Amino acid sequence: MKTPREILLARHQAAAPKLDAIRQSTVAAVCDRRPAKLRRSQTTATTIFQTIWLELVLPCRRIWTGLAAVWLLIFIVNISQHDASKVVATKSTTMGMMTTFRDEQKMLNELLATRSFAADAEQPRIYLPKPRTEKFETIAV
Amino acid sequence: MTMPEVADIEQLPVSQARAGEPAAWDTLFRRYQLPLYVYVFELVRNEQAGLDIVQETFIAAVKYLGSLREDAKFGSWLFGIAHQKCIQRWRKRREVLLEEIPESPDEFEDGPDDLLIRREQEIEFMNLLNQLPLPQRSVLLLHFIEDFPLEEIARITEAQLGTVKSRLHYAKKSLRKLLEAKNENAA
Repeated sequence: MKTPREILLARHQAAAPKLDAIRQSTVAAVCDRRPAKLRRSQTTATTIFQTIWLELVLPCRRIWTGLAAVWLLIFIVNISQHDASKVVATKSTTMGMMTTFRDEQKMLNELLATRSFAADAEQPRIYLPKPRTEKFETIAV
Repeated sequence: MTMPEVADIEQLPVSQARAGEPAAWDTLFRRYQLPLYVYVFELVRNEQAGLDIVQETFIAAVKYLGSLREDAKFGSWLFGIAHQKCIQRWRKRREVLLEEIPESPDEFEDGPDDLLIRREQEIEFMNLLNQLPLPQRSVLLLHFIEDFPLEEIARITEAQLGTVKSRLHYAKKSLRKLLEAKNENAA
């Protein structure tokens, strides 16, 4: 009596030499590869990318393409609207600047006009301290 | 060549393989090459395709070993890669998996060796195995060849645990029934 495992493995023993050849070629490929540390870091990065690609992108690539198309459309619409609003905004800012400039000029003229009155007004006295010797002379007199 | 044992997984040099040691890879591949080929062949029923898938599986294992979280699960991880390769092949050929048995049995306690087959029944056993629907055959092969726990079979085949229980239960039941019927006819 045999177990199913024994039957199954015995039945395919003939493939053993071919499998040995496959194993040896794969192990030889392992030998040919670059140093382990370098390989591991690169493998991890590649694995992450490939895992994301295989499990996230590839299974629903039509959905992703659709979403990408929608985003592209939104982006194009956004850019076109942005340009139009920029032109309008530029026009409006030029007008505003002119008005502000005129106002400021007007204010400056008013200030210059009032300056002459201010010059006529009494100047504040400047206190200049005298030398101590002069003070003594006045007491003596 | 000696028949590979269902070895203690702790003895397998997975950590050395991670370090890129060719000898470790050789040990791992030597351990799994025949069981893996048996599994793949019995699913795809083509020698060249079976060998190609084994080679692709080995290459993928070398490439993606970094993604294996538990070293103790190396065997089921390798079979999982091979299973995916088989599915990809079926998809390319637009083959459809036949199924499905809805209910799951309450308990499952049979071991892989509880079904003993006499020498004269061997060919019949293989024929009966090939008559099973692919998902049932896949689960049964994983159970027979490597005696994987149900949880790991579920992970390999990407199926629910209940579904795996159900497939295994009905596969064994139908196989046993067919063998018994043959025995009665022979008697």
